[in-house]
Amino acid sequence: MQPIRDFKPEQFGLSRRQMLQNMGAGFGSVALADMLAPSVNAATSPLMPRAPHFAPKAKRIIQLFMPGGPSQVDTFDHKPLIAENAGQRPDLVNRKSLRNTKNGLMPSPFGFKQYGKDGMWISDLFQKTASHVDDLCFIHSMHTDIPEHAGAILMMNLGHLQPIRPSMGSWLVYGLGSDNQNLPGFVSMSPRAQARGKMANYGNAFLPGAYSGCYVNIQQMHPDRIMADLKNNYLPRLAQREQADLLTQLNRIDLARQESDSQLESSIEAMEMAFRMQFAVPEAFDVSTETQNTLALYGDTEYAKGCLLARRLVERGVRMVQLSLSIDGYDIAWDTGHGDIAGGHKRLADACDQGISALLTDLKQRGMFEDTLVIWGGEFGRAPTSEGQKGRDHDHYGFTVWMAGGGVKPGFRYGATDEFGLTAVENRVHVHDYHATLLHLMGLDHERLTYRYSGRDFRLTDVHGDVVHDVIA
Amino acid sequence: MFRILIIHTALLVALTPGQLPAQEPEDPSFTAEDIEFFESKIRPLLSKHCYECHSGKSDPIQGALRLDTRTALTKGGDSGTAFNADDPKASLIISAVKYQSFEMPPKYKLSGTDIALLEDWVTRGAPWPTETADSDNPTGEDINWDSLKTKHWAWAPIARPALPDDAFPEWTMSPIDLFVGHELKANALSPSELATRRTLIRRVALDLTGLLPSPEQVEEFLSDKRPDAYEHLLDRLLASPHYGETWGRHWLDVARFSEGIGGFNDNQHLPHAWHYRDWVIDAWNRDLAYDKFVELQIAGDTTGDYNNAIATGFFALGPSYRSDGGDPDSKAAAQIETLDDRVDTFSRAFMALTVSCARCHDHKFDPIPTMDYYSIAGIFQNSPTHVTPIAPAEQVKIRNDAKAQVDNLNKQIGALDKKIKDAKDNATDEDKQTLETLKSERDQAQANMPPDYPNAHVLREGGNGNMHVALRGDLRKQGDIAPRRFLRLVAGAEPVEFTDGSGRKELAKAVTDRNNPLTSRVIVNRIWMHHFGRALVTSPSNFGTLGQEPSHPELLDWLASELMDNDWSIKTLHKTIMMSSTYRQQSRFREAEFAIDGDNKYLWRMSPRRMTIESWRDALLQATGELDWRLHGTSHRDIANARQRTIYAASSRSGEAFPSDTFLRLFDFPVMRATIAQRPSSTVPQQFLFLMNSGFMIQRANHFVDHLHRHSTENSERIEQAYRVLYARQPTEEEINLGVSFLEASAGSDDVKINRWVQYAQVLLSSNELMFVR
Repeated sequence: MQPIRDFKPEQFGLSRRQMLQNMGAGFGSVALADMLAPSVNAATSPLMPRAPHFAPKAKRIIQLFMPGGPSQVDTFDHKPLIAENAGQRPDLVNRKSLRNTKNGLMPSPFGFKQYGKDGMWISDLFQKTASHVDDLCFIHSMHTDIPEHAGAILMMNLGHLQPIRPSMGSWLVYGLGSDNQNLPGFVSMSPRAQARGKMANYGNAFLPGAYSGCYVNIQQMHPDRIMADLKNNYLPRLAQREQADLLTQLNRIDLARQESDSQLESSIEAMEMAFRMQFAVPEAFDVSTETQNTLALYGDTEYAKGCLLARRLVERGVRMVQLSLSIDGYDIAWDTGHGDIAGGHKRLADACDQGISALLTDLKQRGMFEDTLVIWGGEFGRAPTSEGQKGRDHDHYGFTVWMAGGGVKPGFRYGATDEFGLTAVENRVHVHDYHATLLHLMGLDHERLTYRYSGRDFRLTDVHGDVVHDVIA
Repeated sequence: MFRILIIHTALLVALTPGQLPAQEPEDPSFTAEDIEFFESKIRPLLSKHCYECHSGKSDPIQGALRLDTRTALTKGGDSGTAFNADDPKASLIISAVKYQSFEMPPKYKLSGTDIALLEDWVTRGAPWPTETADSDNPTGEDINWDSLKTKHWAWAPIARPALPDDAFPEWTMSPIDLFVGHELKANALSPSELATRRTLIRRVALDLTGLLPSPEQVEEFLSDKRPDAYEHLLDRLLASPHYGETWGRHWLDVARFSEGIGGFNDNQHLPHAWHYRDWVIDAWNRDLAYDKFVELQIAGDTTGDYNNAIATGFFALGPSYRSDGGDPDSKAAAQIETLDDRVDTFSRAFMALTVSCARCHDHKFDPIPTMDYYSIAGIFQNSPTHVTPIAPAEQVKIRNDAKAQVDNLNKQIGALDKKIKDAKDNATDEDKQTLETLKSERDQAQANMPPDYPNAHVLREGGNGNMHVALRGDLRKQGDIAPRRFLRLVAGAEPVEFTDGSGRKELAKAVTDRNNPLTSRVIVNRIWMHHFGRALVTSPSNFGTLGQEPSHPELLDWLASELMDNDWSIKTLHKTIMMSSTYRQQSRFREAEFAIDGDNKYLWRMSPRRMTIESWRDALLQATGELDWRLHGTSHRDIANARQRTIYAASSRSGEAFPSDTFLRLFDFPVMRATIAQRPSSTVPQQFLFLMNSGFMIQRANHFVDHLHRHSTENSERIEQAYRVLYARQPTEEEINLGVSFLEASAGSDDVKINRWVQYAQVLLSSNELMFVR
């Protein structure tokens, strides 16, 4: 093996960053900050922006996560044949399934109307979101591995059925850094309950700690308590500054004694960043400076508040915001579909429809829509056949997600389920393919975004994933 | 097909786990590019969509058609050849996926992209790399096991290497220095001077016990005129009971130790986990021979001594996944994930082998066929976890009998009570009298009941069957039987089959056999890593061909030989390492050396290092006089508000169940889901928010101020004491002046809630100098 010091990444057409990413476990065990510091003095922060693999279509992602499994055939995947064959159980839906789908087809209890230039049918659950249909890019042919919430939620957020891999947001911040050094690079939010899996959905697993998402509960949010120990309860700002100056002074004396030490330098830098975060974070989360018009646009649901915060955060350079829906403190909110689709889904859609619509409008008004990627969806869908009298059970064979903004085809529909909406049959897109596509839109090659851990190069998409080029504008 | 590939790091950059380097084509008309196309696009596609019904492992093979070799593809099945070389686009495989002849796959149609890829592939002439008899070879038949020893450094037997010439005679103090000096010279480097005694005692004390040397201990060492004062210092620290608390913690990382609560379908709390932690601490303190230490953790329950059974907590405290759906797919997945934890932890912790890769397919880079994975998995399949008493059998019996007696009396009381109540006014006095007697008997029995005995989570023997190879990792698709035996990589072509119960006793012996070249190399490398901050093999849990090569291969083997020749004594190994000049070097930056070897791979100085969270918190409590020095015991769910050492913090597998988890993770404590090779050391702003703003730090600062104020009434003397306690040195005049002028400045406005002394103490406790070891 060639000694590292003789290794010139340029000879291989690689950036220093790529080289570091791909280096052996000797590097994998050290935080990126510490690796970069010796020769890149400015880059003492692990969140420093880094160049993508190629020109990105989007610079940031807002994920509107719908845990529990919203039903595709009651929202965005209109299947009139269900009503025509109500109560029947045609072969197409008579699939060997793990779940309780022995009953016949159940028509959607919701009305559908046509929207947009192509007259796309969307249910009355999402009337406000539907007004943006010409900006949305639907994938109707999603499928995933299993019909159990825990595993499928993890699959959607970290590409693996067990909570042992970094989340997508962590991968993004690891790959791209952040455009704001005073805020976390990845923020996960929800009103009330976190999505099932909690930290795993925004955790860094084996990536360095700086790439972990930071969780904020919107419902009980207080700008000073968004992160642990954000506010100093003992000293006013000036006195605190004086104290911090003394610490820096003593640390500098210590550094001079050692002559040079990148770890000591990063430590001094991180302290200064922490000092600034005390004021930058509460500012970012304080919506009181928003105009009445903006506040009215979003309305007053908890989820809408999250949508507004998401816009404020990405506006300030945060790389990814994950906003999970929850009502009644339930960690798989959309699972209320088991017993009663009509009631359960109605309440959930009411809780988020206006906020989502407002977010899309707001991003457009601020000129951020073109390079912000907004994605909507759950971990799987629900079957067109009924569970009990009025409910629907899990369906991992086919479901719908949509994307909007940064780099996707507007007013576009990709893939299809069968005529009853159960199974993805045309242009099937696995969650791994979806991840590969999202990374691609952000300028990252999912096969090159790797981290060496435990003797192996890990990726968000593991050994899978094909970019769905057809949805990219 | 199996090949050992030794790949240059630079080449790896271009590869991903799914893409193998292009292999030699069988037909010269296939270019490397064609083969690459097949491997990256077509093979995964065929595997994903076709092999369930059309491979050698399918049962039955549908239509007698196999698509897992090119020969089989050309030969075809019941409907004739699937590949038409003369008119590739008319091949049956193409019309079938287009749903024009057959409709394949039957459950869904392939995407347009996939169909186009298949068309492209047949048009190129269906390129396929050279085939052995079968493209999937889980039995490892074609591996030449005997020749492996010469293929990769880690598989080679350990021979005690000759000592190199002395490159730096003035500096050399031990054989280790000869190996290190040799490499330094070869790389145009020179070693550093020895560190001062002040620096050394702080380094050695933190290294061995995770605690600061007291000012008195520092003075004693400085004034010790004996020529072997340093050796005496090492002996004293190695004998300290706090040694086991520090080095035991290093091992707990390897053991991915937690108290359970992994979330989802692995959410049990393991309340007795702490007994394993205490067993590890004691094992290191009494210098239990490392081979014995390993054997007990694999099969301690089979020795008949309950104290040894505790050691199997190493496995028993791992995840035990359940299935919440109860459907067959989820149940099989839960079972195989649990086994995978055992196989993965076993192989990486003791032997730095990534056997787990072979769960679904033969290991792509190391000679570990799928069958060998299931040979090991089968052993653990027969070794279920359970909770067992850890007390003498008589004590358990006495307690159980007493408990049974109380239970029995309670039952009688309940029955009689009901009788009396049912009878209402007709209840007899005799019954009432009996009830009172029973109650007093019960109360007495209760009072006399001996205390409950402790329990531990352990493995037990649960059968002696073999597993089948689970095809593609799916337990419901059975392949050949995998006999329980050791890995052929170590044991050779025909390992002895294990027949004694589960096979763990035999497995344990196979791991610690002197002829196994991995076990000793792996542990000396881990020990070296904790002394120097950098391992000789920088992939401490992967010695395979994708791991790193040793920076000092002869030194590694010399250390391994030393360990085995000293009856696997780890304490002897520590002393051997720490007596060297290499270890005693100072850590000062040197520009010329840094330019050549910035990573300090060749050890031209001691690398300065940040403390672990454990050392740092312990040092804070020690400095402020708050530390509770007691060993052992149940764990603290909220370690920030406890006083025992940090190793006694509760940690959960999910890393978020206890307040302790949050505290620990702030400073790089890893989530204990899998064996930890080496902790990262990251510097993030959240850590400084904690230092600046947490109540924890203010409390420590207050206690430290109390300590300093008890010491003296003079500010300058208090400052000197603070420096002696925290940094093992006197402050400079500049540092004293900075302190005094900060302390004597005006208090400021009314919002200031902590006085100048507390503010100053907080600064000293938050400093880099406290947190770093040099």
